Amino acid sequence: MKTNRMSLVLALLMVAGMVLAGCAQAPPATEAPPATYKIGFNSSATGTYATLGLPEAKTAEMIQEQINAAGGVVGPDGKKHEVEIIIYDDENEADKTVSNVTRLILEDEVIVVVSTTGSGTSIAEIPVCQENQTACISMASAKPVTSDSESGTEHKWMFKTPQTNGHAGAWQAAYLSAIGISKVCILHTDDGYGTDCLANFKAQAEAAGLEVVYEAGYAKTDTEFSAQMAGVEASGCEAVEIGSTPPVASLAAIAVRTAMPDMPITLGHGVCNQPFIDTAGAAAEGTVFPCGKVTVIDEVADDDPQKPVLEQYIADYTEFTDGESISTFGGHAWDAVMMAVEALSAVEDGASLEEQRAAVRDYLETKIVEWPGISGLFTFSASDHNGLGKDSLLFVKVVDGKGVAFPESEW
Amino acid sequence: MPRIPRSKLARIAAIIVLTVAITALVIGLGSRKNLQPKHYVQLILDGFRGGSIYALMALGYVTVYTVTGIINFAQGEFVMLGALISISVYNMPLPLPPAARLVVAVGSSILLTTLIGIIVERVAIYPARLSPTVTLIIITIGVTITLRASALLIWGADPYVLPAFSTLVLEDHIFRFGGVTLQAQSLWIWGTLAVVLVLLYVFLEHTITGKALRACAVNRRAAQLVGINPSRMSMLSFGLAAALGAIGGIVMGPVTRPIYDMGLMLGLRGFVAAILGGLVSAPGAVVGGLLLGVVENIAAGVTNPTYKSVVAFVIMIGILLLRPQGIIGRGETGGEQ
Amino acid sequence: MKNVRAHANTIGVITLSVVILVLGAIDLFRPGGLRFSDLTGRVVTTDTMIRIGILTIVVVGLNLLMGYAGQISLGQAGFYALGAYASAILTTLSTRHGILVGVADQWWWPWLAIVIGMGFTGGFAYLVGRPIFRLKGNYLAMATLGMGIIIYILAGQFPEITGGYDGLTGIPRLHIGTFKLWPMQRYYFLVWGAAIAVIVLALNIVNSRTGRAWRAVHSSEIAAGASGVDIERSKLRALVISAVFASLAGSLYAHFQSAVSPNPFSFRASVQLVVMAAVGGLASIWGAPFGVAFVFVVRDLLRSRLEDVLHVRGSGYELIVYGVILVLIMIFLPEGLTAGGAKLLRKRWRSAAAGDP
Repeated sequence: MKTNRMSLVLALLMVAGMVLAGCAQAPPATEAPPATYKIGFNSSATGTYATLGLPEAKTAEMIQEQINAAGGVVGPDGKKHEVEIIIYDDENEADKTVSNVTRLILEDEVIVVVSTTGSGTSIAEIPVCQENQTACISMASAKPVTSDSESGTEHKWMFKTPQTNGHAGAWQAAYLSAIGISKVCILHTDDGYGTDCLANFKAQAEAAGLEVVYEAGYAKTDTEFSAQMAGVEASGCEAVEIGSTPPVASLAAIAVRTAMPDMPITLGHGVCNQPFIDTAGAAAEGTVFPCGKVTVIDEVADDDPQKPVLEQYIADYTEFTDGESISTFGGHAWDAVMMAVEALSAVEDGASLEEQRAAVRDYLETKIVEWPGISGLFTFSASDHNGLGKDSLLFVKVVDGKGVAFPESEW
Repeated sequence: MPRIPRSKLARIAAIIVLTVAITALVIGLGSRKNLQPKHYVQLILDGFRGGSIYALMALGYVTVYTVTGIINFAQGEFVMLGALISISVYNMPLPLPPAARLVVAVGSSILLTTLIGIIVERVAIYPARLSPTVTLIIITIGVTITLRASALLIWGADPYVLPAFSTLVLEDHIFRFGGVTLQAQSLWIWGTLAVVLVLLYVFLEHTITGKALRACAVNRRAAQLVGINPSRMSMLSFGLAAALGAIGGIVMGPVTRPIYDMGLMLGLRGFVAAILGGLVSAPGAVVGGLLLGVVENIAAGVTNPTYKSVVAFVIMIGILLLRPQGIIGRGETGGEQ
Repeated sequence: MKNVRAHANTIGVITLSVVILVLGAIDLFRPGGLRFSDLTGRVVTTDTMIRIGILTIVVVGLNLLMGYAGQISLGQAGFYALGAYASAILTTLSTRHGILVGVADQWWWPWLAIVIGMGFTGGFAYLVGRPIFRLKGNYLAMATLGMGIIIYILAGQFPEITGGYDGLTGIPRLHIGTFKLWPMQRYYFLVWGAAIAVIVLALNIVNSRTGRAWRAVHSSEIAAGASGVDIERSKLRALVISAVFASLAGSLYAHFQSAVSPNPFSFRASVQLVVMAAVGGLASIWGAPFGVAFVFVVRDLLRSRLEDVLHVRGSGYELIVYGVILVLIMIFLPEGLTAGGAKLLRKRWRSAAAGDP
């Protein structure tokens, strides 16, 4: 009896399955509509980098809306193609990053990927992008995201949009030597961003003839810096560079100000969002750091080629998020996604996925020239998958709780 | 004059030798970094500040552990809740002067967090009270995940600020003497710790409920036999632990930038402090907390500050292996539990 | 009926192997364009399956340690890290440091590295375990917790060796001769082959003299000691075995990810491993794959469903629900999903058979 009932159920299931399968087969269309192009997007909207990753995800959502309101991108066939941006969150966990990017490339079959927020996690995704020959545009600043640390060459399929810590280090070193400093101390977070700051600042500082007399790290969650302050004081340095993101950057700046009120402080461009000034208060006064232009829009010259793009993005983002504050990180996402969208115009409808992906990559490497974005004027090349120069950053000094332009002439 | 047994003499000698050796090592390492006496004073002073927070957290662990036998992983989340709730209340547009607003904020934050602690105990811990240790540890981990995610939902991922208690703005008074600095908030932190200890003492020694709690900690079965309701005591211990955590979170608020995920590392450090103190002794917890703060700071100061948290955990493992009863030695021993 | 009971493990192993083979074959050959992920409504992909397989190996070890030997480890991610870093460092010797060129490029070198890693991690666990096993219960949990965190922090230091916070990249894929165990549809078979081998091994250990000794120690140390069980040695054996399993999983992880950084080996990872073991059932080897899969799939499902329903992103709703589910399982099914669920079903069955309403 039992077996009978079982087989009946099985048979029913099979019939149901077949019916469903039949339904799933769409009737043959008379003329296929233009294919929808897919962009994969992955950021750390939650987790330790949520302050960075969330505005990035929101920017991607905003662009998705804008493009499709405009009817999509025009391909070489002259037709408008809808663009679908598939958005994932990796919680700043390397495993999740690799899973998400793998899923985007192999399952969702996107043409190009924008991923991800953190440097460490971006480095983790390199093998996936390289092996599957899909361009990945990262929103992280560390150099090893795009270049191989052994050979120094660029990874073929990796690009990134933020200004690097090398650019920031060049500003900081130039400033410090201009004001007559000879010995500096470096404090940095013990993570990918902090150690990248350390390496780049050190290289630039030594090239500018500065002597790094003390370097010390701390955890992202630390609140107590007396050990570092004792080291700074005892080392006799004349300026302190802090390579961190808020909130710990604010606490470190406060600690320096408390122990040594007159010590000049430079910071990296990781502090270019309002939380730094909000959480550091008076300690932020007088600190100097290079910033992406989007955070200091009032200070950007009117003839700057980025100015229209910047103003448009700020207006759009403010409207889309009901007035959330602008951060440089959303800007990194805007650059990455917009570049990807633009590169889709080189994609042949009907070409194989491999060809489409290769077309996007080649477009990025060769056609992104003097491209005005939020983070700077991009010029990608085979030997430079970041495409930005030192002038993509604006040197800023905090005066009365606000970052104002601090050009070389005023040093 | 009492006669000192030889073994005790030997032990004292060993302690002296050890202290001298460690001091020499510290000074030796410090001199390589040009550290001067004022730096050591600063390190110790700031170590006591951080250590006071660890002490408050450790008291929370000890309260729950002695009464219920549970290591409450959610202790760090109570600290986070205390800090963030007080900030939210402070920022509410109440028609009060800032000082009064701060008082309201502190009071309501402690009350709310205590309530959350009690709810946690009733909903998650009490139904599973008879389960093995592993199960209870995992339950408190589940509670931790839930509380942290709720905080993310409510407060987002941005750091917040609580004004310094003395100035009611972000910037605190700073006292300077001979190259050593001291923030006024440190005095508030020490004062709070002292007041908490006195209140705790009065509560445990001079009230019926407090005595019942202590009885429960000494022997649950016996306490039940004399008519103490262990269920109520378990609830009380969680409420008390939550309140202690909230107080710690509030007083440290102005010197940190409270954020939804601050509980994890703080919780672990507070835990190390509790272990240092033997896990079952309140005075031990306080000594353990203060000591951890100072040792951590000095070790970080004379070596590489990066290893600060390594120091904490190395100390913890060392204590567990060499003196599981804690540094002041009144606690139970790990091997004979 | 009795016969079925006696051979339950054999049947289980065969069933699991067949299921794994069929699922793997589907993704390898893609009959009619059908992908593995199509079967699961695109929730579980080959990538997820491989990760489940890798963590199953760790959790089986944790099961032996926690469920059978009764010792808690909150630092298992540390052993997992040791295996991953052993493979990562040894297999990039020639490319990074120019050491052992000509040897470290051979196809068999990564396999040797896996064995070296397991040996090293096992030895390390032995050295760590010897003093720690004088402690018990909560104390042991804390000592392992400290060990795990120390390994995690040190992994971020010494960039010359470990690659610092960015970690090591360029870890080669595994080969057998010239046959490359990649794309991941091929790697899947290696990982699950290893996972099934570990399960079989664990089942055998549990039913061996060692397993009986563990259970004796677990129920009463004094009684076990009195009847001649070397308690400390028996516990140490469990720790070393679990560490060796974790190391193997770590090596497989390193070759899968092709990049290793401290990030996946944090305290959170250790906690998650314990949660997986607990959800699957602490004293149940068969619970391991289910516990791992449950944690993986439920979180992802929750996330995507809640995002669809609530139209929110990056909010943590799913974490709240996840935490609540965890607490509920521990309260109502403390033996884990498999053992606890089976018990519940059996009860239902019996009451139904007895004619209860």
